[in-house]
Amino acid sequence: MLNTEALLNIGTNHYLFLSAILFSMGMIAVLMRKNVIVMLMGIELMLNAVNLSFIAFARESGQLSGHIMVFFVMTIAAAEAGVGLALAVAIYKKFHEINIRFFEHLRG
Amino acid sequence: MIYEALGFYSLSLFILFFAYKTITVPNPVHSALYLVLTMMGLAGTFFNLGAEFIAGVQLIVYAGAVMVLFVMVLMLFDLKAELRSFSRGLLSGSLKVMASALLAGMALGAIKNSVDPAGLQPPAEISANATRQIGVLLYTQYLFAFEVLGVLLLVVAVGVVAVSRMKGGTHAKH
Repeated sequence: MLNTEALLNIGTNHYLFLSAILFSMGMIAVLMRKNVIVMLMGIELMLNAVNLSFIAFARESGQLSGHIMVFFVMTIAAAEAGVGLALAVAIYKKFHEINIRFFEHLRG
Repeated sequence: MIYEALGFYSLSLFILFFAYKTITVPNPVHSALYLVLTMMGLAGTFFNLGAEFIAGVQLIVYAGAVMVLFVMVLMLFDLKAELRSFSRGLLSGSLKVMASALLAGMALGAIKNSVDPAGLQPPAEISANATRQIGVLLYTQYLFAFEVLGVLLLVVAVGVVAVSRMKGGTHAKH
């Protein structure tokens, strides 16, 4: 029997469920795809899932430190995307394909 | 209450559907565009959670700047070779999906078994001028982390230029 009260009363748990599922989807993208760019997108998806749980906990506790953390995570994510895409460009210039299996041939 | 639930479930469906499309479509450009839609749904969720500033930053930084960077780098590449770029092997593939499903199941079970105070009492309201308070916090309590992030961004900007101009690295044969 479904508990309609728990389904309709949206609390922190619901947002955490969404965050966990989103994180697992990002993990599947990183594990299953061979394209470096799509793997980076999976990492972005995972970071966003963590941001969502930060914001949910910030609302539950009524403190704003969670928002600050999300702000920092976004900055780090932008920097990480820049470095990852530069690596992808380096790999493409050498092998003319951006497949993860070419990373083992990179030197220096 | 019913409207909050409706909004939450429709936004969740939106986010999960486009996240699924992001990780399954073969074309990386389509992946990037679906990821933009996922980010927009997440911005809506942040707005629902009372984080208006973070929702705006999500729209501008993620859906705007980062994804434009992704798409522009994708335009440099020849995408025809990338269309079949899933990892091969039924056994390893199913193991990977099962590992992710195990992680999701464990996380969901942990959340379900934890006590939810927000379900028992209304969550503490964040006051209307949250953006101002974020600014005050950022420049007092978290000032050092903020400055370190600035230095990190400078280092990354220089490093990205260096890496993308790299011609073979230290082991290159000239």
